[in-house]
Amino acid sequence: MKGIIFTEFLEMVDTKFTPETTERIIERANVPSGCAYTTIGTYDHRELVQLVVELSKETGTKVPDLVRTYGFHLFERLVRTYPRFLSGIKDAFTFLEGLETIVHQEVRKLYSDAKPPRIICTRDGEQRMEVLYESERCLADAAHGLLLGCIDYFGEEIDVRQEDPEDESGQRVRFLLTKQA
Amino acid sequence: MDADVLKKRLAREKIARRQAESLLETKSRDLFLASEQISKSAQQIKAQSQQVQAVLDHAMAAIFLVDENEQIIRANRIAELTFETAMDDLLGMNLFALFSADAREAARKCDAVSELNQEMNTSDKTIELTGQRKGGATFPMELAATELDLDGSSFTVWICKDVSSRKQAEEERAKLERELAQSQKLESLGTLASGIAHEINTPVQYVSDNCHFLRDAFADLVAVLSAQNDLLEAAEAAGVLSEAVAKVRKSQEDADLDFLKEEVPSSIEQTLDGVSRVSKIVTAVKEFSHPGTAEKSLVDLNTAIETTLTVARNEWKYLAEVETDFDDALPPVPCLPGEFNQVILNMVINAAHAIESKKEEALGKITIKTAQRERMAEISISDSGCGISPEHKKQIFDPFFTTKGVGKGTGQGLSIAYASITQKHGGTISVDSTPGAGTTFTIRLPLPDDTALKEAV
Repeated sequence: MKGIIFTEFLEMVDTKFTPETTERIIERANVPSGCAYTTIGTYDHRELVQLVVELSKETGTKVPDLVRTYGFHLFERLVRTYPRFLSGIKDAFTFLEGLETIVHQEVRKLYSDAKPPRIICTRDGEQRMEVLYESERCLADAAHGLLLGCIDYFGEEIDVRQEDPEDESGQRVRFLLTKQA
Repeated sequence: MDADVLKKRLAREKIARRQAESLLETKSRDLFLASEQISKSAQQIKAQSQQVQAVLDHAMAAIFLVDENEQIIRANRIAELTFETAMDDLLGMNLFALFSADAREAARKCDAVSELNQEMNTSDKTIELTGQRKGGATFPMELAATELDLDGSSFTVWICKDVSSRKQAEEERAKLERELAQSQKLESLGTLASGIAHEINTPVQYVSDNCHFLRDAFADLVAVLSAQNDLLEAAEAAGVLSEAVAKVRKSQEDADLDFLKEEVPSSIEQTLDGVSRVSKIVTAVKEFSHPGTAEKSLVDLNTAIETTLTVARNEWKYLAEVETDFDDALPPVPCLPGEFNQVILNMVINAAHAIESKKEEALGKITIKTAQRERMAEISISDSGCGISPEHKKQIFDPFFTTKGVGKGTGQGLSIAYASITQKHGGTISVDSTPGAGTTFTIRLPLPDDTALKEAV
């Protein structure tokens, strides 16, 4: 997993909680990298899981909620760092439909070893869209947070419902997005 | 944020920076290697492209790569030469503008054929149509097309071959084959004529011998009849054997003896003359049609010309009188008898045709002279025919040049004569002509030196 995912997580903990909280979970997690992350490096995604688990213990917040919050934060960072990805796009559905061909394609150009999740969007009329998340890293909650961050950015009223996973692995999760009247 | 936290973060940042630097080095190295690989690949592609262009440029046909809009997007050097159009003009041009108007439809059909070629993975299905050079001149060409897909777009490769030279060669070959067939037919006729002449010669010989015998025998009979007449006159004077004498006289009158005595010898002489002429013609035909030899032999040109005149008599006897003025002292000349006879025959026939084309009622005149001029034997053949115009004079020895009507001449007689005299005999042939007055061809053949002549004799 790319280092930016780790640095942004620690950034979020600093912001949403405190720098001391960040240091404590780093110390407790005791991951092989020592959390000395650089955005362009590549690290084991399980280190992120360990950090989230420690943050959950530290804050008493459930892991899925934390991961979802992190997803939301990540979208804000995306908007700040790569505003061109959103240039000319007026709504969340349109942005999501271009995720694979625009955003993930750009990621692959910068990091040939990157393995972003696969996002398949299927429109069901003007108001509904199905978003299928596929990743061996099982971070569907992060994807959920990203979806919420996206909707918030465009200022739309869209209900996001995470359907029950087709299997227990969490590698393949379906979201149903419905615009509110 | 307290100092302890800051210290920890500083330590992590240092590690992260080292990682980032190491990554940067690795990426820089990867970038360099990738750049090097790209550079090598670019060189390879450039070399391959040059090879492909060289192959295209040295192909013996015009090659075009054409897009779906029929526009030429690539062409080779032969295409420029074939269509006499610069590369800058060819590129972007509609391919079908290179074909003559009536051939464009056929070319579009070839486009359909190209699909078949693609299926068959071949380009050997070609059509023939007419190409058009920049100046408008047209030429026959062979066309093949193959469809191909490049990066998802459909293209057609067109191969156009200018077949002008091949067509011309094929036509010349067909003409030569026809002439060869005619020549073989004539050769067969010559062989037949030689055989027939031989067969005729035998009966002619005994007809001639018998005529001589009859002439001599009749002379003897005339002597006997003369003595018999003396006897009859004596009997009549003596008045004896009147009845028997009257019977003999009656039979003499019935047979018209005086007429017979006068006419039979001349009949026999005329017969002998006729037989002699037949014999002469037969001998001439036999000599003329004798198979040619590859080696030269010493030939009496006067006899050879006489023989040819005899054989060709039918060609000139209704058009001209032939006069010969032979130098009897002319030594034998080394030549190919068959070819020399053929040259003289061609000349005599040409002379007769020239006289005929003048369309005069009176007979024309063909004069053949032989003479020795220093170390050359000279034969001149003059006619009182129509002559040769100055503009035709320099072409008369060219192959296939003729001014005669269809069926009268192939335009090869003089060209064959020229080649034979100059190349095979080391001689010369020249022409002097006055339009409306006549023409004289003069042939000169080298004579052998005395030593060679003595050895040959």
